[in-house]
Amino acid sequence: MKNNLKVQRAIKNITQEELARQIGVTRQAINSIELNKYVPSTILALKLSAYFGKAVNEIFSLEETD
Amino acid sequence: MHYFCVVFKSQAMKTQFLFPHGMKRIGWILLIPSAILGFFVIFFNFQASFLDCRVFAAYSGATGWLSENKAGMIENNITDEIAAILFIIGALLVAFSKEKQEDEFITKTRLESLVWAVYLNYAILALCVLLFYNMGFLTVMIINMFTILIFFIIRFYYILYKSKKSLSHEK
Repeated sequence: MKNNLKVQRAIKNITQEELARQIGVTRQAINSIELNKYVPSTILALKLSAYFGKAVNEIFSLEETD
Repeated sequence: MHYFCVVFKSQAMKTQFLFPHGMKRIGWILLIPSAILGFFVIFFNFQASFLDCRVFAAYSGATGWLSENKAGMIENNITDEIAAILFIIGALLVAFSKEKQEDEFITKTRLESLVWAVYLNYAILALCVLLFYNMGFLTVMIINMFTILIFFIIRFYYILYKSKKSLSHEK
């Protein structure tokens, strides 16, 4: 699964640290998602979606291998 | 903002079978001295003579299975019992106390590390089954009782350390 979390953060001009705090997860979680090392749960994806005001599939998208 | 706080709290309240974060420190305080004591007990047969005492044994037969009933009071040096019990309590607290901040990423890392530790532990045990015999194998089994927790602790904290380190060059 791909994501453009980093782009979304840049648009909102918010650091990983601040985003993590707002969503209530560790900074490692945000960082691992951005590095495509961790696929977030539906709950976390929905929280991020609500935070950025974008649909989940505007932030996360499937890859060929999924 | 309020919405996020509510969601986060409800998640954090889920039962996770973990100890409070503060117990981790107590865990280390028990783990380190008992590990050192255990090392000397296993490899140098260390026994503190003032710990000789009478204890209740459910079974203390020297050979084989429960062929004869040996329950009752026996003379025993309890240095090794103390080291083992303190190590188990300490290692469990270190391994399964909550992190300062818990989230699904930490939970996933914990579970992965547990699977990893079980595999590694039994891989090593299987190898030792083939390589160690008689009293040597008894020593392997004694050590193997504790290595599963040790492997878990090392792997879990290593992954957390690595994921923290990769933060420094990401903004």
